[in-house]
Amino acid sequence: MNVTYNWLKEFVDFDVTSDELASLLTMLGLEVESMVKLGDGLDDVVVALVEEKRQHPNADKLSLCRVNNGKEVLDVVCGAQNFSQGDTVALAQIGAILPGDFKIKRSKIRGEESCGMLCSDKELGLAEESAGIIVLPPGIATLGTPVFTALGLKDTLFEIGLTPNRSDCLSVIGIARDIAAKLGLKMKFPHSTLVECSERTDSVISVTIKNPDLCPRYAARYISGCKVAPSPEWLVKRLNSIGIRSINNVVDVTNLVMMELGQPLHAFDCLRLSGKQIVVRTAEEGEQFTTLDNQLRTLNSTDLVICDAERPVALAGIMGGLNSEIESTTTTILLESAFFKPAAIRKTAKRLGLHTESSHRFERGIDIDSVTRALDRAATLIVELAGGLLSHGCIDAYPGRSDRAAILFRPEKANELIGINLERVAIIDILTRLECQVSQCADGSVSVVPPHYRIDIEREIDLIEEVARLNGYDQIPATMPIARVISDRPTRHQEIEKKVRDLLVNNGMTEIINFSFTAPESVRKLLLSVDDPRHTAIKLANPLIDEQSVMRTTLLPGLLETTARNMNFRSLDLKLFEIRRVYLPGKGEDMPCEPLCIVGAITGTRDGDGWSRPNELVDFFDAKGVVETVLDFLDVGGISWVTENQESYYHPGKSCKIFAGRECVGSVGELHPSVQKNFEIEKPVFCFELDFEKLVKLSRTKKTITAPSRFPDSTRDVAMLIPEELAAAKIIDCIRAEKSNEIEHVQIFDVYRGKGVPDGYKSIAVRIRYRSFERTLAEEEIASLHNKIITNLTNKLKITVR
Amino acid sequence: MREQLEQLRNGALQAISKASSVEQLQDIRISLLGRKGELTALMKGLGSLSAEDRPIVGQLVNTVRDEIESALGAAIESAHEKFIAARLQSERIDISLPGRRPLKGTKHPVSLVIEEICSIFAGLGFAVAEGPEIEHDWYNFEALNFPPEHPARDMQDTFFVENNMLLRTHTSPVQIRTMLKQKPPVRIIAPGTVYRCDSDATHSPMFHQIEGLMVDSKVTFGDLKGILTVFTNQLFGQKTGVRLRPSYFPFTEPSAEVDIACVICGGKGCRVCKNSGWLEILGAGMVDPEVYRHVQYDAENISGFAFGMGIERIAMLKYGISDMRLLFENDVRFLRQF
Ligand SMILES: [Zn+2]
Repeated sequence: MNVTYNWLKEFVDFDVTSDELASLLTMLGLEVESMVKLGDGLDDVVVALVEEKRQHPNADKLSLCRVNNGKEVLDVVCGAQNFSQGDTVALAQIGAILPGDFKIKRSKIRGEESCGMLCSDKELGLAEESAGIIVLPPGIATLGTPVFTALGLKDTLFEIGLTPNRSDCLSVIGIARDIAAKLGLKMKFPHSTLVECSERTDSVISVTIKNPDLCPRYAARYISGCKVAPSPEWLVKRLNSIGIRSINNVVDVTNLVMMELGQPLHAFDCLRLSGKQIVVRTAEEGEQFTTLDNQLRTLNSTDLVICDAERPVALAGIMGGLNSEIESTTTTILLESAFFKPAAIRKTAKRLGLHTESSHRFERGIDIDSVTRALDRAATLIVELAGGLLSHGCIDAYPGRSDRAAILFRPEKANELIGINLERVAIIDILTRLECQVSQCADGSVSVVPPHYRIDIEREIDLIEEVARLNGYDQIPATMPIARVISDRPTRHQEIEKKVRDLLVNNGMTEIINFSFTAPESVRKLLLSVDDPRHTAIKLANPLIDEQSVMRTTLLPGLLETTARNMNFRSLDLKLFEIRRVYLPGKGEDMPCEPLCIVGAITGTRDGDGWSRPNELVDFFDAKGVVETVLDFLDVGGISWVTENQESYYHPGKSCKIFAGRECVGSVGELHPSVQKNFEIEKPVFCFELDFEKLVKLSRTKKTITAPSRFPDSTRDVAMLIPEELAAAKIIDCIRAEKSNEIEHVQIFDVYRGKGVPDGYKSIAVRIRYRSFERTLAEEEIASLHNKIITNLTNKLKITVR
Repeated sequence: MREQLEQLRNGALQAISKASSVEQLQDIRISLLGRKGELTALMKGLGSLSAEDRPIVGQLVNTVRDEIESALGAAIESAHEKFIAARLQSERIDISLPGRRPLKGTKHPVSLVIEEICSIFAGLGFAVAEGPEIEHDWYNFEALNFPPEHPARDMQDTFFVENNMLLRTHTSPVQIRTMLKQKPPVRIIAPGTVYRCDSDATHSPMFHQIEGLMVDSKVTFGDLKGILTVFTNQLFGQKTGVRLRPSYFPFTEPSAEVDIACVICGGKGCRVCKNSGWLEILGAGMVDPEVYRHVQYDAENISGFAFGMGIERIAMLKYGISDMRLLFENDVRFLRQF
């Protein structure tokens, strides 16, 4: 809502500066989002008199003027033709800065000195175009007075961001009322001196409301013999001041009154209304109607229309029809001022995508009390500006008349909830200033009837808010609550999420956050089988763009897109992870599932920009290592790395699924070259995925801790040749299968292929550390145990000890 | 015997003084004092001496041995010191080379801010609550006193999904879910992802909010002001000014927009605060009785407040980020700075 300082001042005579007014409004909840001071900084543009005007000796189109600014007479070169000697003009003196940062300097124009500039409306930002310089009425002000002051144009435009509850402030009067209430001032209302002729309005036109539930009040007036013409300057300027374009005197008056009083009005060309009658009814299903903007609209049975005897002539409260629009030849006017039910207008406006100043106000609710006041004000102004005869009386069809219900209000409750301690009289005074009718009840409570225009006030709490608001939020002391102790700690889920995030970060991984919605085709890039459930995503009904149109079912595409984007910027050493939700459709009527997942991607060199191990590239085991760290940290038991039924997006020879017991908890592997290509990734990437929800369930909270043995250890290494297809893990398993308490630690410390190792074989070196918890092991005991292990390996796994 | 000892002593001391390494000195020790050493042999010879001579010569042998031992000890120590000094002299590394450190990982700024805010509120006794992002209209709007077709719904452009569900437009439905589950007193903070169909330099279709809710028997609007003052002072610094001004949210009344003194210009006015000196950082208010009605709380005997703030906005202010889109581009050159 735009409003100016001067306009507000017509309604309430406050004595504050525009800066003070801005902060007062903001602290009333009418947030001043921006403020433009008209004429600010233009004090160097002054009223001046052209004492002499003669031809420039060197230029046909220029003249030399001697201009008096009240203090001195200056030489000014001017290119305009529309003035003569003796005219009063607007002189921009040296040092003035005009809109567009145009600085006036002393200059020579074609050899003649010029000490200023005579300005046009355009140059002062007063008009978009202008034909010549401003010629002011003679004697408008003493010479030297700033032009903006002389013209009464010094003003401040406030752009107010209104909250949806304050529909009353979609008008100058509404904002003025709040100022008056805050400052304790009286309101002034615009005049309406009706001059009516003898012809009765209801003898010329008639109004019928078929749906009083949707249109509780419809008032109309009739003016004949008027002349549509351009509006006078004061009206044009006033509308321009808040950004409304002037159209003609009749339309401008309806707009002016709407801005002043918040009542949208509509003027019909009455000669074009069949039967000179108005019927308010709902449209017929499929009924067609062309609105003012020349759009053919198809209506349905919930749309409210204003009709003449035959057809719709306006879409109620939203827009008039082309068939009854005011034209330059219009002479008779039916002026409408009505109240339409907000929900009805909103529904139609929304469906048709038709948002107008009028619908904006009706949707939020207008003051049903001001329907006739606005009508009278507009009729007065139209007759003033366009002439014509105003018929006697107004038609006021008001089937929905109802009084506002009184609200029971307890002043002490207001103090209690706000945390202040206002006197009862002070509270009642606030409500009275808001034009509520307050009467005291015997039990100490108060009965309050709010004014019609405050449709947002319906309950005691609404009144409490008004007390807090008018008294000032800045008057409320900041206190600490007195509260009961609650024992609460983060849930296991939350704690583990935070710990895993910390763990990954401490392992050099960088956290990313991708949008939860993605392109439908991004999951296809993973080459999943057709029946993979990850193809079934929840779709947005109204996505902004196709790339954000389905809810992701896996975090991988986002991760891989991020990887590709970073590689494009030559960030080639990446360790990325994301812990976020995926969204899986619920079964039937169930809510969708939103499980938390973890994904990671590792690529590039292992040591980043280090110097001691340059060019050492990461591989599968870096990714597996991160996964192992997480699983170990969460103490998830029974882990196995399974190469059956691998995920389609991994290299089949370099990936596996991760099982904890029988539960698949994730996967790890090198990205499949085709998938890598699908995501336009240049280098190999190693990824992992973990099902966070399963991990939380499987994580063991109680750790068993054993005291370390105090006896010496003994270590034996064994190198063996094993067939390439035999998994190294089987060797460890086989050693562990001995289940001896004396085997403290088993470690693969070398894997070797090449010289001395036959094709199809690899050499594996294992170190076994023996130690007892009870005694120092004798050499013979260790030898016997070690030999037993080697025999087992040789017999069960067909290995050859080297 | 006496001369023999004297000779041995002189020879030994000479050899010790000539020796240059610990090894040579050890050899000398063995040749003199070892099992088959010269002095050891002499000592064995003591038995053949007369009873009067024996203590005298024995005494002498001991003196010589002590003398040699101490000379040897001193020489070994000094040789050792020389050896260490020479080693330290010869061993040098270029300490200017960068350290070998593990690759640095970072949390996303959104996570950092959420963690920080949650920990501030944990200190005030607020537990963390969560809720679904794909929500029913009832939790996201209706129970929060946004009736169908209400203009307030325009404040939040909503993404809809199938089955009449929507992507939550704020974290406020968590209030409803929490109050339906538990009776007062309630003190929760609910961080989460929210969605609105809006996208430009200051709006992202997905962003994050933190919701706070406190309901107890006698909570006032002044308490809300108190809690938020403590919170903003902890988040932005001890003396950050806080301003509450009237606003409107369907689910709170009275409602407030909460501003902090501009952290960029300190309140003098700058581009970020649009010259007002204030930055809007959160919305808040006393829980509306309509909301209590929907969760079957008795509005007459309890009261409480709720507040909500945008994480991205706070992250942008804290880290001086001007374009929200940077937060979701996931460029590691950006992320690694946190
Ligand atoms: Zn600032």
